[in-house]
Amino acid sequence: MEAVRERMEPRVVEKLPTPPRPDVALDDATLVVRAQEGDVRAFEALARRHQAVLYRVAVRVMGDPAEAEDALQEALVDAWRRIGAFRGDAAFSTWMYRIVTNRCVGMLRKRRPVPVDGVADAGLPPAPDDPARAAQIDAELAALGRAIAGLAADQRVCWVLREMEGLGYEEIAAITGASETAVRGRIHRARTRLAEVMLPWR
Amino acid sequence: MALEELLACGRDATAAWDRAVAGAGPDEHEAGCRHCRAARADALGLDAVVHRMAAQPVEAPPSVIDRVMTAVVSELRPHDVLLLPSPHGPNRLSRPAAAAVLRSVVDGMDGLRARSCRIEQSERDGEDDAAVGSAVDVAVTVTGRFGIDLASVTARVRQMVVAAGEQALGVPVSRVDIDVVDLWD
Amino acid sequence: MGLRRAGPGESGAVTLHVGDAAVARIAAVAARGVPGVVSLRADLAQALLGVAGAVFGQDRDGVLSADGVSAQVHGGAADVTVTIVTRLGDNCRDVAIAVQEAVSVALAGQAGLDAQVSVLVADVLLT
Repeated sequence: MEAVRERMEPRVVEKLPTPPRPDVALDDATLVVRAQEGDVRAFEALARRHQAVLYRVAVRVMGDPAEAEDALQEALVDAWRRIGAFRGDAAFSTWMYRIVTNRCVGMLRKRRPVPVDGVADAGLPPAPDDPARAAQIDAELAALGRAIAGLAADQRVCWVLREMEGLGYEEIAAITGASETAVRGRIHRARTRLAEVMLPWR
Repeated sequence: MALEELLACGRDATAAWDRAVAGAGPDEHEAGCRHCRAARADALGLDAVVHRMAAQPVEAPPSVIDRVMTAVVSELRPHDVLLLPSPHGPNRLSRPAAAAVLRSVVDGMDGLRARSCRIEQSERDGEDDAAVGSAVDVAVTVTGRFGIDLASVTARVRQMVVAAGEQALGVPVSRVDIDVVDLWD
Repeated sequence: MGLRRAGPGESGAVTLHVGDAAVARIAAVAARGVPGVVSLRADLAQALLGVAGAVFGQDRDGVLSADGVSAQVHGGAADVTVTIVTRLGDNCRDVAIAVQEAVSVALAGQAGLDAQVSVLVADVLLT
């Protein structure tokens, strides 16, 4: 310590030349490995890249932007905590779809049960909480939204992934953990139900 | 086990619906079958509003990422460290931070992107301060642009990683293993 | 931190006790002044997120903030741990050594304490 007390001037740190930063975006596989090794910035890049799609799914499954925002946020934090478990045999997007849809299903199950007679509401114009907004939105679109809200959770998820996200049956099966047959069944029942409810609009 | 969803005529309901909304006209059976015609009518009647909903733009609120990253950063615990030599007792460097430095050095090389970067530091007796903060072994996986000369590029990566270890981190690098795991164009 | 004046009958010696919090603040100020130190630990989130002030708000104690420093005083010596963030281009080992030295000098000069300083480089900013 004596030697230190005598040295009064701060030690000079030499500046080293820094390598140029490349602008090419990194692919998911690279970002995932980096995130698994603790690179927080890589995880942020992944989250930014995928958030739009995941939010869109959550909004259409939950039918409510605030709940969808919660589902998205919790799904992303969950993904960070569990990124070590991601094996890379499936695509990262498939894994993320699974995390967010599982969270949505969990949230739906915690809600009050949907009234059995959801059909009666579907044809009515939306309740004008905000009259200007109610006039603005497409009434038929709103009716479809309410009809979707009348679907059971597992049907809703499969239907959204198929009809809104355009995913194939095999991928939806991978996301939901159900068989492809079960997925097709859920989608068909959802489609039939929606067609029935939306009949007044045809 | 769920049964296949079939129309009353025995046709696969899901497939029939998909064909209808894809714009395929009714085949010979469908043209004459009332079950199929009803199913097609359902499909086509719903199709327009479904497409309208699917086409609606939906943007994630910008604050979500901020809140997510706040939570992520607040949960970081840098226990995972490398030892840095010092005459005043060893200091510590977060291993993920060191790995990010080495990756950025590789990324700066034309035609290469670093993927995995593992750094191992052998443990030494704490007796001799100078010995602590001993040399590290580095193992990186990289992806490269198709067409680059892999042999000469990996030799350069090795040089760069050794130089970066010494200059940027302050830790000697005794070994660099490089694995080219994929190519891109 | 307390200053005890000589009582009646005692010699003119004044005993200076410097507590952990004061030592931490002295160390923090010294560490922040070292070239190559971008910030101390509590600012890590801001440094990573690139959002000044918006996430955690301003340091409660401003320039004297001791976040990122932990100190324990025992007798005439102090154990100090400093967590720092550096930048690519500066040598981590050298910056850490510089911090150890700056903190030791400051504590010796301002508090009369021998210091055992350990530095953790928690992150290296790449931009």
